[in-house]
Amino acid sequence: MTIMKMEETAIVWTLLQSDLRPIQDVLAEFNSKFTRSRYFPVCSSLSILLQDPMILRSTDRLIAFAIMHQCYSSVKPSLNPFVSEMINAACNEQAEKYERAFLLHLFQWNSYNNAKEIFKLSAADYIKTFDPSTNDFPELGELQREYGNKADGPSSHMFADYALKKLLHDPDVPRGCDPNSPEFDVQVQPGGISKIGSGDRNEAISGILGSLTMGGLAPRWIRPCPPRYPVHQSELLWIDPDNKHELVWDDKMCADTSRGATVRDLLVKGLKVTLSPTEQEDITTALSNDPKLVYHCGITPRKLPQLVEHNPQIAVEILTKLINSPEIVDYFTALVSMEMSLHSMEVVNRLTTAVELPKEFIRMFITNCISSCENAKQQDKYMQNRLVRLVCVFLQSLIRNNIIDVKDLFIEVQAFCIDFSRVREAAGLFRLLKTLE
Amino acid sequence: MDSISSDAARDGSICDEAIVLSVTSALAKDALSYFQSGKFHECIDILIQLNHKKRNDPKVLHNIAIAEYFKNACSNSKKLLEDLNTVKKQSEEFAKEPLEAVNPGSNVSVSKHQFDSTITTLNIAVTWFHLHQYAKCLSILDPLFLNIEPLDETIALQICFLMLDSALACHDAVKFLEVFGHLDKSFGVGFGTHEEIGSTMQLSSNQVSKTSSLLSSSAASDALKSDLAAAESGLCEEGLEYDNVLAEIEAEKRMKPVGHIPANNLLKTIGERSILTVDVKLELQLYKVRFLLLTRNVKLAKREVKHAMNIAQKRDSSMALLLKSQLEYAHGNHRKAIKLLLVSGIQKELRTSGIFNNNLGCIYYQLGKYQAASVLFSKALRNCSSLRKDNPVKLFSLSQDKSLLITYNCGVLYLACGKPLLAAQCFQKASLVFCRQPLLWLRIAECCILALQKGLLEEGNTSSDRSEIRVHVIGKGKWRQLMMEENGFVELGGSAQWPKLSLPLARVCLSNSMYLLNVSLMNDYSKSDLESPLSVMINETKEASWSDHGDADTNSELKEAKGGMNQDIIQNSLSAYKDIRRRENHLLKQALLANMAYVELELENPIKALSAANSLLQLPDCSKIYVFLGHIYAAEALCLLNRPGEAGAHLSAYLLGQEDFKLPFAQEDFDPWRMNMSSDCEETSDCSTGNARDSLKPEEARGALFANLAALFATQGHYDQARPFIQHALALLPSNVQATITAVYIDLMVGRSEDAVARLKQCTRVSFVPGRLEVRAS
Repeated sequence: MTIMKMEETAIVWTLLQSDLRPIQDVLAEFNSKFTRSRYFPVCSSLSILLQDPMILRSTDRLIAFAIMHQCYSSVKPSLNPFVSEMINAACNEQAEKYERAFLLHLFQWNSYNNAKEIFKLSAADYIKTFDPSTNDFPELGELQREYGNKADGPSSHMFADYALKKLLHDPDVPRGCDPNSPEFDVQVQPGGISKIGSGDRNEAISGILGSLTMGGLAPRWIRPCPPRYPVHQSELLWIDPDNKHELVWDDKMCADTSRGATVRDLLVKGLKVTLSPTEQEDITTALSNDPKLVYHCGITPRKLPQLVEHNPQIAVEILTKLINSPEIVDYFTALVSMEMSLHSMEVVNRLTTAVELPKEFIRMFITNCISSCENAKQQDKYMQNRLVRLVCVFLQSLIRNNIIDVKDLFIEVQAFCIDFSRVREAAGLFRLLKTLE
Repeated sequence: MDSISSDAARDGSICDEAIVLSVTSALAKDALSYFQSGKFHECIDILIQLNHKKRNDPKVLHNIAIAEYFKNACSNSKKLLEDLNTVKKQSEEFAKEPLEAVNPGSNVSVSKHQFDSTITTLNIAVTWFHLHQYAKCLSILDPLFLNIEPLDETIALQICFLMLDSALACHDAVKFLEVFGHLDKSFGVGFGTHEEIGSTMQLSSNQVSKTSSLLSSSAASDALKSDLAAAESGLCEEGLEYDNVLAEIEAEKRMKPVGHIPANNLLKTIGERSILTVDVKLELQLYKVRFLLLTRNVKLAKREVKHAMNIAQKRDSSMALLLKSQLEYAHGNHRKAIKLLLVSGIQKELRTSGIFNNNLGCIYYQLGKYQAASVLFSKALRNCSSLRKDNPVKLFSLSQDKSLLITYNCGVLYLACGKPLLAAQCFQKASLVFCRQPLLWLRIAECCILALQKGLLEEGNTSSDRSEIRVHVIGKGKWRQLMMEENGFVELGGSAQWPKLSLPLARVCLSNSMYLLNVSLMNDYSKSDLESPLSVMINETKEASWSDHGDADTNSELKEAKGGMNQDIIQNSLSAYKDIRRRENHLLKQALLANMAYVELELENPIKALSAANSLLQLPDCSKIYVFLGHIYAAEALCLLNRPGEAGAHLSAYLLGQEDFKLPFAQEDFDPWRMNMSSDCEETSDCSTGNARDSLKPEEARGALFANLAALFATQGHYDQARPFIQHALALLPSNVQATITAVYIDLMVGRSEDAVARLKQCTRVSFVPGRLEVRAS
């Protein structure tokens, strides 16, 4: 991307060559032709041209500096992005004195405060009328202190910085080698030097202006491209025909919803009274005929304790079938937290032989049994003894059937046996524990 | 029908609930039979009558929605989804009403039954499945699966199979195993105990006998022989090129058995639980193989597929053969895979011919025959589109349409062939299915980068495009409901236009990819750590039964062969798969960060580039290649940020002595890299050749180190130090543009302009043009 457009190049080039017009006219025309946003590109191009003392004629150079000054005259000199170029030029001892004086006028350095007057002259006239005896030129440092900017120039990082500035200062760089453009570089090197001073200059300058790019010639970094992420064979999609997943018609629509109604009714009854053997038989058959019926039979965890009390066999039947249900935990919880009784123990005991119960649950149940026995103390000695016997028999059965691992509960059960050692069954259980030790 | 309803009206005075019930159930039966025979207009008429009688019965509304959908030739999935969701919401609201208080006791479960939304939910999931939204499908089915025990077996099976297919499509091995474990428990071992299933067996074996008699007919077996012969000859001849493939396929067509099994008349089976006719046991065995293939447990898959073949022997074995072919493909035995693919016979059916071509295309891709693969993929796409056109009324035209998957394969292929624009188009189309997969986004970003390298990107990455804040959100997916999040996932694509390939697009894609990767990593993490007490409990009981199983299985070979899934082995292969996935994700993360750093550098955003490169370097156990890229990107970014000292530190990590660099990585580093990816691939040579040509060579990387250190010295004015390095660099990379320019710069700086010009003249990539000198872009 070049900095300036073709027509801009033409305008700038014409302006630079207006050595016979008063400088202020030239500046006015510049202002009318360029908007503020184009100042920077134009000045960058000019500063590149100015770096080489040979390319531009002396009058052109003066006008170029004037434009660079004018563009940023509304701000402090130190904010002018090209101030360092101008300072360097003003202190360049190899440069013509009139040029250095001109720049100092632009800076309004000490007694150089004649810029307005000078601008009324044409560039050619200024040179003609310049008094060559002037000798009061400041040191570089003085000007830098006064106007210099410590901030970075237009470039933003070190590659760019070095590209522009180093080339500017280095006297060893062959003349005509413009560092700001690789294109320019070689274009001028073979042709530029030898042909300078002839008609080629115009062509070269407009060529330079036309093909200048913003970037400079800088050391280039090799930026390897990341390799393509490897294609694993599983990334390519091997397709299997899938099952036909079809939309399903809901055939429960207006269907007979009496499924299992008898069982449900019987079970409602079973919450209150013990069912007759035939009724129990009916329920068992219905449940085994329809494996999913158990989920629709109306026995909720809340109702379970009632069923256990009145119809423990049916409760066992239902719990066995519900063992895969996600709600089985709730049923177990209900069983654990109900009041201990012969029936609840019977249910648990039979469950242990029918299905595999979670260890946690059995453990909790036993703990509950034991604490029930202890709590019964306050109430009724007879009831307590009865309960203790039941628990002991229950535990012996569990141990004999290898349902529980005695080690898990050893201390708890042992304490229980000692507490109730007066009960015969407790002593028996204690002996059983000892034999297992 | 009218007579019945007018009867009902006449008897209105004595109309008690029972009569209404019988009338409506008769109507319901009629509706079903109309539905099954494909007379949807009549069906809907009756359903509307029913709706008048039973205001707002969700089940009636549900069936209306289904029938309407079929009436419109399955064209408006969006409306179906809306309707079903409305029905679902309605039933849930009804179910919430405190019925128990109103009529306690027996009626509770009756009413609950009426408002059960299981079927509606299942149908919603089915619809999403056909729209390729597998993750969504899974999440919808999850609640059903949690409470699957009470459901009727047919529905439960349907839910489970749908979940299995979705889980496979999502590569979700954990979910798959969860569902499969349940099925195995309910049907694998205790199979045949229930009457219902027993009769199913009967039915399917009837079908099977039909099939097998067909298979044993002479025409069919001749066809098989010729398939084999064709496969052999195709492979033995030197060229495996497209012509041969075509010839094979043509031979196939001629040999097409006359009496090939007609696809069931789908319209007849609508509404019937056609899944019941599937042989569950074979199905489970096939799923087991697919799971093992997913988890890349090739050894075990081999054994299980044998077992599947045994089960399938008397039945339809095409699926088992197809899986066997996939197994050989996964194993890298491409010849065998082709043979089995041909034997499976899926190319003979219109429905599956696209699948055949696609799978064959995959094999040819792995063989490095890109031309043939490309022809096969486009043939597969044509198969799909003809399937769409031919059967507009066919129910599951949508589900059988695999074109988006095939399109993805095309994308991979085009990218490998160096056609980024075409590849990107494919990936963008496939994004409808894969938009949640991080890899897709990386691939699109790679398309952008490749296009950049090839100079195919349009100019105009203006500064406004480059700003990070103005990221356009283009289009809203017609179906997707992606959540927009700040700095999160940027929705691209859908029905709307995709933006042209560009670096900013690459940046967006990479950040999408990273976002998705992080989300999935996070999910994995949370899944393993946060489990509800309920599931813990269930797991415990499960594990207990599993371990028992394992104990009994000391001589497991025998039991396994009988179809019992040995849980230990399954768990092992699951954890092995998790490891593989973790490694892949790790590698993906490295690739993403490296690409990010690169793209940010290209976009002149060194701060971002530096942070990406630093994150890359901070990853533990990074591939040496990515470590190198991390250092070199970080160094460049630091230079651009005017921090040459730190930049130098990154480069000198590779310094050997004062003036030499070691190789930052070896060619072998590509191999373990690949071995990580496919530890089970036997013929690695095949797949490695495909990638090797565009990967970075170690010597080039070393050259880059020399050149970059030289550039760094040069910018600091240490030209004498820079010169030997740039000499080394140019020796390694004689025609590298960047190194040449750095060399020229150094020459000019030390005043050797003649050398510089000479150097430019020597470099093959510089051309002197009249009036203007141009250096060709790298």
